Amino acid sequence: MTHATNIIETEGLTKRFGDRVVVSGLDLRVPRGTAFGFLGHNGAGKTTLMRMLLGLTAPSAGWMWIDGHRLPAERAVALARVGAIVEEPHFHSHLTGRENLRIVAAVRGAEAQTRIEPALARVGLSERAGERVKTYSQGMRQRLGVARCLLIDPQLLMLDEPMNGLDPAGILEFRGMVRELVAEGRTVFLSSHLLDEIEKTCDAAAIIDQGRLIAQGPLEALLASETADVEIGCRPPDRAFELLRRHPAVASTSAIPGGVRIRLSRRDGVASINAELVGAGIAVFRLEAVHETLEQRFLQITTRIGGQP
Amino acid sequence: MTVTIARQMIGAELLKLRRNRALLAFALLLGVATIALYFGFAAVEHASNPARYGPAGGAPHFERSVRIGGLFFGALAAILIGAEAGTADISSGVFRDLVATGRSRLALFAVRAPGAILLTLAVNGLGFVVGLACSFLLAGSLPTPGVGIVLESAGWIALSSAVIGMLAVGVGSASGSRAVTLTAVIGLETVATQLLVQATALGQARDALPNVALGQLNPFSSPYDNLTLSAALAVLVLLGWILVSAAIGAWRTAVRDA
Repeated sequence: MTHATNIIETEGLTKRFGDRVVVSGLDLRVPRGTAFGFLGHNGAGKTTLMRMLLGLTAPSAGWMWIDGHRLPAERAVALARVGAIVEEPHFHSHLTGRENLRIVAAVRGAEAQTRIEPALARVGLSERAGERVKTYSQGMRQRLGVARCLLIDPQLLMLDEPMNGLDPAGILEFRGMVRELVAEGRTVFLSSHLLDEIEKTCDAAAIIDQGRLIAQGPLEALLASETADVEIGCRPPDRAFELLRRHPAVASTSAIPGGVRIRLSRRDGVASINAELVGAGIAVFRLEAVHETLEQRFLQITTRIGGQP
Repeated sequence: MTVTIARQMIGAELLKLRRNRALLAFALLLGVATIALYFGFAAVEHASNPARYGPAGGAPHFERSVRIGGLFFGALAAILIGAEAGTADISSGVFRDLVATGRSRLALFAVRAPGAILLTLAVNGLGFVVGLACSFLLAGSLPTPGVGIVLESAGWIALSSAVIGMLAVGVGSASGSRAVTLTAVIGLETVATQLLVQATALGQARDALPNVALGQLNPFSSPYDNLTLSAALAVLVLLGWILVSAAIGAWRTAVRDA
């Protein structure tokens, strides 16, 4: 993997506040053109990483690149096509939505001025753009924050906990917007502790725990279980339980309502198990591989490392 | 940073300030309404007892109105606007978003002062125009100010507004707190200056106070008549204050965690 395939790369990135290490030796790779979830408990170091990438705080050690540009040396060019919302979008509340965009567009450059109206239209705020931001709801502020990111036709959007405070309709809308942005070839890097949302929105993810990177990669790879569990719906379940307990392809068994859950010792053993159950006169009406959710995987990994659920 | 972007950023700074209704109202109250009140009060006095109180306008009242604008209430308006310009981005949280654009932090600081000074000049300029108009309209039998003194006074009001506004922008950018900035700069301009000017033990060191230097440069006699310094030294003192406040504001803006 190189700068050509990764839009964000870090090596040994570390941030200390006094004796406390908040981010420790982080080697992160964010592939281009993906929705990338950055997962971690509250206080795991997610926001600190984003703040370092955006030049809001200096790292204590390590290296980082955005779009192949070394930070902080090439900060201006690296961030020229990066839109970001850190923690929550902030605005001058006495100004209107449109005026707030004018403030940032002035800093971004002449071309950004021409993108104000399209950006407002894109996030559905054209009609309310003339109202003061202090009258906006949380969802509208979030959308205005995204509009601010779109002033520069961003290659990369970095969104910190973007679903916080949104109602279910707002979350759905936001998810759709992220997918649209990715479909346009942009990379959306979003940090969250809402695992379900990351699973529904992202293509790849990284998991950080106590400042250390625990896992990263495509979601399918992160979710791929080291073991294969299968739930079998059958009748009578107690007979099936006894039979499967002694089966060579089964590592462990547990009873579930209306059936048995098994852990396979061989992934190719399902067909023989099914045949054996049917041969023994047991009615099998469901064979279902058990997939771990990101939440289960996250808790499994972070618990293993951190020792805390 | 190109000239176009600098102009846009200064325009944005001005937009932030002039759209702040409370700030503008208080600045106009201090910079304009006090001048109008001064002449209104003098007019009422004159109307009630013409034998004891002379006409409310003319050159003498013009001189007092210029001092009010340059050293007292106009200076307070400059401090109010400068403090807002220095702290608005930080207190609203927008500073973080501006830094995240990749634009140099020094550029973000550098545009605050012109924005604040432009608005201060507009407010105190309006106060000056009101004072000038009242001086002529209410002059009665008194002589009116000449063109030379009017131009010198306008220039001095502009200088005072710019210096004090810059001082507030610098302290605001350094502290990040409007309350701290207002307390520090108003404290320096009013309480500290009055106390230090009376402290004869400090000798010539008192010449380094910004109000003493400004007073020395005003077109009329200095209000601090126990202290005299040359015009060149007064200019150096003011340049020193501008440079120091700009330096601490720029440094803190550059190193502040956003």
